[in-house]
Amino acid sequence: MNNIDIISDSEFISDLENVVDNDGPFSSWELFNMSYQVEKATISEKFDGLKALDFLPQIEFLPHQVDTAKQAIEQMNGRAILADEVGLGKTIEAGLILKEYMIRGLVKKALILVPASLVNQWVNELNQKFYIPAIAHRKNYSWEQYDIVVTSIDTAKRSPHREAILDIDYDFVLIDEAHKLKNHKTKNYEFVRGLKKKYCLLLTATPVQNRLIEIFNLVSILKPGHLGNYESFLEKYGKDRKKIKQDAFLKQLVQKVMVRNTRKETSLSNTKRKIESVWIDFSDEEMNVYQELDRLVDGFASFSKITLLREMCSSREACFLSLQKMINNEPNKLDRLQPIIQKIEQLPHHAKAQRVVDLIKEIGDEKIVIFTEYRASQLYLQWYLQQHGISSVPFRGGFKRGKKDWMQQLFKNHAQVLIATEAGGEGINLQFCNYMINYDLPWNPMRLEQRIGRIHRYGQEKDVNIYNLAIRGTLEEHIMKLLYEKIALFEQVVGHLDDILAELNINNFEDEVQSIMNNSSSTGEVKIKLDNLSAVIHDVHNKADQGAQQYGN
Amino acid sequence: MGIKNLDQFLYDYFNAHQCEVVDQIDGRLTVQLNEKMDRALMNRPFYWHYIKKMGQPGDPMKLTLITDHEDAESQGEKIHFGSPRLQQIWNHLRDNERFTRLFQVIHTTTNTALHPWLVVNVKLSYIGKHKKDELFSIGLNLVNGIMKTEMMEQLEKHEFQLKVSDYCYTISPIIKLSSGFKRIEAVLEDYIKNQEHQWADQSLKELDNEMKLLNHFYETNTEEEKEQMEKELQEIKERYTPKVHISIINGGLFYLMQ
Repeated sequence: MNNIDIISDSEFISDLENVVDNDGPFSSWELFNMSYQVEKATISEKFDGLKALDFLPQIEFLPHQVDTAKQAIEQMNGRAILADEVGLGKTIEAGLILKEYMIRGLVKKALILVPASLVNQWVNELNQKFYIPAIAHRKNYSWEQYDIVVTSIDTAKRSPHREAILDIDYDFVLIDEAHKLKNHKTKNYEFVRGLKKKYCLLLTATPVQNRLIEIFNLVSILKPGHLGNYESFLEKYGKDRKKIKQDAFLKQLVQKVMVRNTRKETSLSNTKRKIESVWIDFSDEEMNVYQELDRLVDGFASFSKITLLREMCSSREACFLSLQKMINNEPNKLDRLQPIIQKIEQLPHHAKAQRVVDLIKEIGDEKIVIFTEYRASQLYLQWYLQQHGISSVPFRGGFKRGKKDWMQQLFKNHAQVLIATEAGGEGINLQFCNYMINYDLPWNPMRLEQRIGRIHRYGQEKDVNIYNLAIRGTLEEHIMKLLYEKIALFEQVVGHLDDILAELNINNFEDEVQSIMNNSSSTGEVKIKLDNLSAVIHDVHNKADQGAQQYGN
Repeated sequence: MGIKNLDQFLYDYFNAHQCEVVDQIDGRLTVQLNEKMDRALMNRPFYWHYIKKMGQPGDPMKLTLITDHEDAESQGEKIHFGSPRLQQIWNHLRDNERFTRLFQVIHTTTNTALHPWLVVNVKLSYIGKHKKDELFSIGLNLVNGIMKTEMMEQLEKHEFQLKVSDYCYTISPIIKLSSGFKRIEAVLEDYIKNQEHQWADQSLKELDNEMKLLNHFYETNTEEEKEQMEKELQEIKERYTPKVHISIINGGLFYLMQ
């Protein structure tokens, strides 16, 4: 065949002649032969298969992870969307793919773009698990200098980095949390389109959040034209995301560039979730204050009322701080609020905190993660646990990367409990721990799922135990009963919740619940409205389930 | 597959570098490095820089390597296929053992002629959508032009050293090294051209397909996006254009008895 380029080694023979002319240095027979044996052991004799598995005997890959890597390389030729559900190991799959390309000598220069809070985690994982010498970008590093660089998209797209990066021919580009690229008019999108790249992986758990055009935009980064051009796509599918179900052809096309594994289909469901609702009663004094607060703040903006009540269910401190803040902002409220502040100050320890201590003692000598919505509660809990001889470390989204890693280590090696606030949920892997206490429940089930995903994920070997705490006779009761118990959201629905909400045209679940709370004049009305909401979600989910998977495979 | 026994491989490697193996049981090996190997493997250039500045000989380290995965007791580095240490050793071999000139060891008391052979170990990499490698060891007799494959396997049956054995003498090459190498290259190119290259056909098909998609994608677009399209076109070509790389692993001049 004539159309194959043959590229020869042009230097070898003149180098050999030089060495012979100079009478050495010559390799001994043993070393010369060993060098040949090394090559024999490391070449890839076949086009297919994963050579990397031989090189990573210490990692136990799950079957779906190996399949995904093979599919991305062999069928998708190295340009793919990895869209597994949270916690199934997208990082592992991506690491395996990168390793394979490096072993085969197809990738030397790689750029890995991840959220800023995850940079260190990626670097560690690639180095320690995969022996890939990745480094985090630091201020004075040049982009040319290092081969495998991890950084955030926000850093990369800023001048002067932007210009330097766009100048480099990358063999491999990876983008984590790629759903942030769903809009083609953003700077991020334009930047990623501009990168010179050979292989490219996009990682996201939610490839389609709202509109079908999002998947078009993601695919166009990998394989422009695969789903037609912008105009023809819009014309054919409009902005409606339902069409992906109806259009078998489109589904097929998407499957050619996207792999999606779900919890249901993978062996991960071997470790189960045991979810237990823990009901707590306020003490009489606490209940009095709660009810007084409810009456008192009736005239306030509904948002602050609900916030105060939620905070009261969490800790005196959280509620107290908000009240203080209100007074600082509007000194004229001082008279109305002063009495209740005084009452709060005199309350004994929070009933929930006491229950948490009991619960920890019942669980025994195990690592436990506690999630709370409020920083004040986090501090209070840490202090309260310490009073009872329970060691804990705090964890917040605002921590610098180094501090996050340090806290994670402290928890692993020294402390029994990690107390995290919501924003800290992203970017920690706690699969060595299988107990979780949700001190207060988020109003969006997706966020609870993300919390649980911190421990119920790839690498978890035991069943995970989750305790959801709620105080009877408060708004927590509604949330617990209607959102969590009734919908039985967790395993079945939550994976699809994004899709379901989009179909219902609900952009923000929390806002929806908030507005129900605000706009209802009685507890009965709240109940009915939440009931309706859960019924609708159930309904849509059942329909979606019948249609099996919508996309992916 | 080369390297069937990692313990043996490590032993041979350090032995060939004149490092004394202090302790060896199954699955564990402790070796006293010499200065050269300490510099090559232990990654402490500053230590050697300062110690030499102070006029001291320096103190090369001992290295314990554990190949037995079950062994949790022993102090030392775990080493396995793909581990950074083994990778480092492999790279050290790749970088340093490129060229040789060796003489067959002959125990004789009569005059014996040794013929010159050019031996080249070659890797062919077929790169398209995917990639595979093929290894060749080729020998060319530089007197009569006879060519043999699987040369290393045949050489393994003999012993070699860096100087001529007693009573042996070498015959001067008639074919120069560079012309010998050209003959080997020509044979390899023939070999490549005479194969059925399904993989290349598939890659070209994919190339064509993605180029068509790209054209369609930019059909209605303006001049400004030409540059973006050109960039993407380059990426597609880079990714799918089939090619074969011939790379030489190592090679040298071997003097063999006929």
